[in-house]
Amino acid sequence: MTEASLYLLQQIINGLTIGSTYALIAIGYTMVYGIIGMINFAHGEIYMIGSYVSFIVITGLLAMGNIALPVTLFAALLVAMLIAGTYGWSIERVAYRPLRGSNRLIALISAIGMSIFLQNFVALSQGSRDVALAPLISGSVLEFGSLETFAVTISWMQLLIWSVTLVTMTALTLFISRSRMGRACRACAEDLGMTNLLGIDTNRIISLTFIIGAALAAIAGLLLGLYYGVINPYIGFIAGLKAFTAAVLGGIGSIPGAMLGGLILGVAEALTAAYFPSEYKDVVAFGLLVTILLFRPTGILGKPEVEKV
Amino acid sequence: MDEGENKMANSFKRFSKTLLAAATALTIAGTAQAETLKIALAGPATGPVAQYGDMQKIGVMAAIEYLNANGGINGMDVEGVIYDDACDPKQAVAVANKIVNDGITHVVGHLCSSSTEPASDIYEEEGVLMITAASTSPSITEKGYGMIFRTIGLDSLQGSMAAQYILDTAKPKTIAVIHDKQQYGEGLATVVRDALVAADVEPVMFEGVTAGDKDFSALIAKMQKAGVDFVYYGGYHPELGLILRQSAEKGLGARFMGPEGVVNSDLAKIAGEAVEGVLATAPKAFDQNPENAERVKAIQAKGEDPTGPFVFPAYAAIQIMADTAKAIDSTDAVKMAEHIKANSFDTAIGTVKYDDKGDLTESTFLVYELHADGSKTPAQ
Repeated sequence: MTEASLYLLQQIINGLTIGSTYALIAIGYTMVYGIIGMINFAHGEIYMIGSYVSFIVITGLLAMGNIALPVTLFAALLVAMLIAGTYGWSIERVAYRPLRGSNRLIALISAIGMSIFLQNFVALSQGSRDVALAPLISGSVLEFGSLETFAVTISWMQLLIWSVTLVTMTALTLFISRSRMGRACRACAEDLGMTNLLGIDTNRIISLTFIIGAALAAIAGLLLGLYYGVINPYIGFIAGLKAFTAAVLGGIGSIPGAMLGGLILGVAEALTAAYFPSEYKDVVAFGLLVTILLFRPTGILGKPEVEKV
Repeated sequence: MDEGENKMANSFKRFSKTLLAAATALTIAGTAQAETLKIALAGPATGPVAQYGDMQKIGVMAAIEYLNANGGINGMDVEGVIYDDACDPKQAVAVANKIVNDGITHVVGHLCSSSTEPASDIYEEEGVLMITAASTSPSITEKGYGMIFRTIGLDSLQGSMAAQYILDTAKPKTIAVIHDKQQYGEGLATVVRDALVAADVEPVMFEGVTAGDKDFSALIAKMQKAGVDFVYYGGYHPELGLILRQSAEKGLGARFMGPEGVVNSDLAKIAGEAVEGVLATAPKAFDQNPENAERVKAIQAKGEDPTGPFVFPAYAAIQIMADTAKAIDSTDAVKMAEHIKANSFDTAIGTVKYDDKGDLTESTFLVYELHADGSKTPAQ
């Protein structure tokens, strides 16, 4: 392969990695929107909390010593998903459920308030400075291309991010399409009121949606925490904004759309940084969003909202 | 009122102040046996940056103790009076007025540039001699005041210094200049680029990253493709830390250099081993200067920390005031300021000489090599 194509390949690999994590966070936005038509702006903070919890677990287990790395990571993943899920559930109970049925704007303000609350809560309890974790997974799985010109590398960390995302997304798709609960979720997304009349506890389904979204954000929190090694209480804002963009890009309300949107956004960012000055990364990413919405207002895979009568 | 009149009015104001001060001094001299010269120490004693105020206090107090143990200034004992501006510009103005009202005509401080700037207007007008040991913003001395001095170099000097080092010592083949698009970082990066271009060394890249960004893999791949072997980064430690860490993972074999903003123990926490060998311009570590060994010991004997960047500049500020007062046999602030501008001084930060604006003629920065354990040593 020529140098130019090797370089392109490397940038696509970089973009897919970051895009996978956007997709994981975007699921939370899209599922909640799909069912109750509300944008949960506190979702980015759940991702940040997931990062903090996994850092605390990892540091704790490393300090104990003698525990194999995969066990440590798996424990961190479970605890982070559990705690983030609890936060997701509580947020819905405390800040959104009492407002359900009122104007959408009110719930939106409540979400922004929740986001500010959580950010400051973590900043006060954990300190607002960067917290760093030494690299746990290093080295590359695969290197090809000549060393003199340009070598494409895929690191173990990137491979881990891809495989965890793939497994999670497959599991989520199976859950939504095959399980009873998943069917109930789809029913709620179709028509919340009708589903309620048919004897399904929609409040439970809505809670479940928040828990699933939060758990996926926690997975992204752990993965990105490990990948970058640095977290602070303010990472949720940018990550949330990017994931929200990904969700809108793919078509908000559509789960495959969120996955696709995340990957497209990640790759678009990487390619912009690759061929233009990297200042323009965000300009192109958000310019892309505007362009797609101009031609397809519902996003790439979104369905036009049918007026429910 | 035109400028000449303004000046005359000012000098008359100063003259009357001096008369008044002389009269007060005479009265006091009549009543008290041992006179004291009060020097105000203005800076944050509370608030989020109080730790920097402490550094200033450690230096000033150590210098004053040394002076008093060696006969004081012209037979007078020196007393340091602490004023707290909490690094808040509004409070700094109040503090400056209070200092003037208290009849003090010598000030070491303030600390934050944003506080020093409004306060220096008051000192200039009231004929108070001010030496700041920490404010690095160029705009403080740009007004061309006569009473305002520094014992610390300007931020912008770091850029030309870094460029000099790159050209003379590092001599890399392919240079990238990266910045964080903020005033401090982009400003320094621009100075570095311009100096390199002026020497016919064209950086292959000049690009910004977004402060707060976490993923730099695309940028790093781009630098790999360009064969970059030296990177100057204008910005702060959180982004550089991540760039270093990700570069090490991707195997970008380039050397990095940054300004003072990256010299922070958190850099090593973020980047780990990748910090080893990173270059940075930082204020000279005066506590490691052999000439300061006695002073370091005296400060340590009191259980205080002599390593802070502002300790010895603050120490030097007191030395300059004391030397001047001794040389002209007067503590008149206006005369002292004239003497300071015209002469050079041997201080804890080396030989100090001023230009017309009251800035140091020589930079107090040095190129350091950073290490993974958070320490730094002068670069070879």
